[in-house]
Amino acid sequence: MLMRPPAPRRVLAILVLTLFAACTSNEGGSKSGASGGGATGGTFIFASPGDPTSVFPPFVTERVGATLIDLVFDHLADISSALTTTGDKTFTPRLAKSWTWAPDSLSITYSLDPRARWHDGKPVTAADVRFSVKVFTDPKAASPVAPLLSNVDSVSVKDSLTAVVWFKRRTPEQFYDVAYQLFIVPEHVYGSVPVDSLRTSTLARTPIGSGQFRFVQWQPDVKLELDADTANYHGRPLLDRVIFTPTTDPSTRRTQVLTGQADFMENFPGGTSVLDSSKVARELLIPSLQYAFLGMNPYAPKSNNQAHPIFSDVRVRRALSMAVNRGDMLRNVFGDKGLAAHGPFPMMLSASDSTVKLPPYDTAAASALLDSAGWRRGSPNGMRAKHGTPLKFSLLMPATSALRQKYSQLLQEQYRRVGVTLLIDAVDSKTYTERVQPGLKAGDFDAIIQTFSTDPSPSGLRQNWGTAGIGPQGQNLMRYSSVKTDALMDSMSASFDPAKFKQYASRAFQQIADDAPAIWLYDLTEVDAVNRRINVTQTRADGWWHSLAEWSIAPDKRIDRDRIPLSATPSAR
Amino acid sequence: VRGRLAARLGQSVVVVFIVTTIAFFVIRSAPGDPFSYDSARITPAVRAEWRARFGYDQPLIVQYGRYLWSVAHGHLGYSTLRNESVASALAEALPRTLALAGLGLLLSFIIGVVVGTAQAARRGGWFDRITSYVLLVLYSIPDFWGALVILLVFAYWWQVFPAGGIVDAMHDYMPPGRAFADRLSHLALPLASIVLLTTGAISRFQRGALLEVLPADYVRTARAKGVPESRVIWKHALRTALAPMIVLLGIMLPAMLGGTIFVEQVFSWPGMGLLAARAIGSRDYDLVTATVIVGAVLVVAGNIVADALHVALDPRVRE
Repeated sequence: MLMRPPAPRRVLAILVLTLFAACTSNEGGSKSGASGGGATGGTFIFASPGDPTSVFPPFVTERVGATLIDLVFDHLADISSALTTTGDKTFTPRLAKSWTWAPDSLSITYSLDPRARWHDGKPVTAADVRFSVKVFTDPKAASPVAPLLSNVDSVSVKDSLTAVVWFKRRTPEQFYDVAYQLFIVPEHVYGSVPVDSLRTSTLARTPIGSGQFRFVQWQPDVKLELDADTANYHGRPLLDRVIFTPTTDPSTRRTQVLTGQADFMENFPGGTSVLDSSKVARELLIPSLQYAFLGMNPYAPKSNNQAHPIFSDVRVRRALSMAVNRGDMLRNVFGDKGLAAHGPFPMMLSASDSTVKLPPYDTAAASALLDSAGWRRGSPNGMRAKHGTPLKFSLLMPATSALRQKYSQLLQEQYRRVGVTLLIDAVDSKTYTERVQPGLKAGDFDAIIQTFSTDPSPSGLRQNWGTAGIGPQGQNLMRYSSVKTDALMDSMSASFDPAKFKQYASRAFQQIADDAPAIWLYDLTEVDAVNRRINVTQTRADGWWHSLAEWSIAPDKRIDRDRIPLSATPSAR
Repeated sequence: VRGRLAARLGQSVVVVFIVTTIAFFVIRSAPGDPFSYDSARITPAVRAEWRARFGYDQPLIVQYGRYLWSVAHGHLGYSTLRNESVASALAEALPRTLALAGLGLLLSFIIGVVVGTAQAARRGGWFDRITSYVLLVLYSIPDFWGALVILLVFAYWWQVFPAGGIVDAMHDYMPPGRAFADRLSHLALPLASIVLLTTGAISRFQRGALLEVLPADYVRTARAKGVPESRVIWKHALRTALAPMIVLLGIMLPAMLGGTIFVEQVFSWPGMGLLAARAIGSRDYDLVTATVIVGAVLVVAGNIVADALHVALDPRVRE
């Protein structure tokens, strides 16, 4: 008997029913009853802004990649939540269970934890430490981390569990340099690939580490999945799996988090009141290592020697600093959740100092200073001018930054009141980088609103505000130069006594504040959104994810996806 | 016919070559390059090393010559954004966009033809006026705004469909039936956005085409013979009025690839539009140029197919 072909109407009905079933099944939404496992279990979905460009530690350049490698790979030792970078007192063991210093401090001997295993089951050895340093520092690899490990001379292997790291010179942060910047990668996996080919190698897309989470799969633009390493030498993480779902549009990520489709997103847009009233997600405020400022170019745009007609005069820079009410701007933009910047550093930096004296808000004094510098009101529109040249400058900023857009408008209005014309020059991010970063078009701006994201090390400030950081190979975008500041920062970097280290740092900060190369606007506090069923233990200023292995979901709060056992993971099937 | 086809193919190769050349130079003249990150951590020396490694420090004309040589040998280059070959990136993205755009166009076409025909059959009546107004409004809505409204209503307020992605994060753990339903549910909103935003144009075109046909002699003859009005419209008149519509279909498919950029962006649909937008933003030179090449090839192919259909369906053109 011949089967009758399905009628179009029947096919349509099946499709509609299937679609209905999909929409009502609510994979991520239904609550479980009392059933569920013990302390461990759960699936954490991170709505990430995109895919990482690399998942191999030496080549990671952006935040998503940094998140992933911190979960999959290990350091020799872990920095404390206070992010102290001098000495080794506050560091805790990770791959190295202990370490000893040579009497001259030019080498440190690391004893590896014998329980440590790579995710393929092979033991972690001292040869892996030597290989890691080689990969990170070999010029052929061109790792962006290499300059940060420039003090490392070599690594010798005493035995399979003992590695000796040799340094070129003794510095207060030599332990931090290795512990924080270097991830240990397995030689038996990557050693067969020529160093200069590692960046494009397919092996570098399937990372094998020793961290508490294992790499499972990466479907570009769809998801990147990790699961718990149940046999990890530091214990298994409380969550079963972590899935990154790249979602470019922030409003889509926002919807995913507010509907429970995802569990976490960074930089939640649209204010915290939405999260306060949400039954699904709540806010997670994380002070960061980022600070924002309005920088004033001491040189004419595109010039390395011609003084800027406005900003080369310290009186004008100080006056412009005193003409704006930083507190009001902070409240206007962030409400009661903003953090004022206190100088050329984020407050989360271990050497930060909230007592640095910044030019006070005083429009009368600002006007007087501008008058004394020759910039007087007098033109028909009441704006200031000097020898017929109006007091007018442009403020370069990336158009994609909503925060900086708001600040630029507030600054514009406040400067107008004291007779200064500010023109907003909003450009796309690549154009901004090209005009600001050292290179052929370096310094192609009058003023910028810039955010600096720092490492925990205060020594990094030398690159941002020291004379050594000026030029095509440096990171001193404002080309600020002061002999006094340089001397103080050199003394800071050479101080082994933490108290003296901080003292010199404070004096350097004060000197920069007095020279007023910039107006310090705000410290960035990350407003993240996290599902209410996730129990967040702690976060760190250099990344919310550092203690993700300790985040958990209580059994009575678990939903369908939390109850999928680890044995169902594709790699385990 | 063969001669004309060969001539069209020759023209197409020239068009693709010109478009490729323009794309190559335009993206390289934009500020920044693949390695100009806004990150103080990456030193200029490292950036310079990476540029040299990919040959981006060479004079433009040298880069262009190398690129043409590479494309001529079937290599579309390396994506610095995705750290894989451009061909791999395209192989993943193109089918997704073709599925979304193709299905969207098919549904838009079916709905547009039905509505346009019904409008023409009841010209000036309430159905014609109301649907014309509604479709004009839908047609006027900017793509990204329309997609955002659909996202807000169906994914956030009513929560009946997922808010983005091609599948659920837990898709791999679902049984086959549920996995299929999951795919459909993720397709629903981007598809609905495309259908809503393109149906208006198609129905208006169809309405106009049918109104041109209805006064024809053969239609009058059919009516005079007593053929029911619905049969006159839906069988006799529609058949003739569909010819230009099928040509339109051939032209619209590649044009739609560009139109899906916003829809793909809003719903995180990992197709060509999203890939191209990200590639442009990160100045992924080879990937940008390759997406332009693919777009150009699809446009010229669509035009050739449309011409061929036109010739096949309209005897006057053959003559």
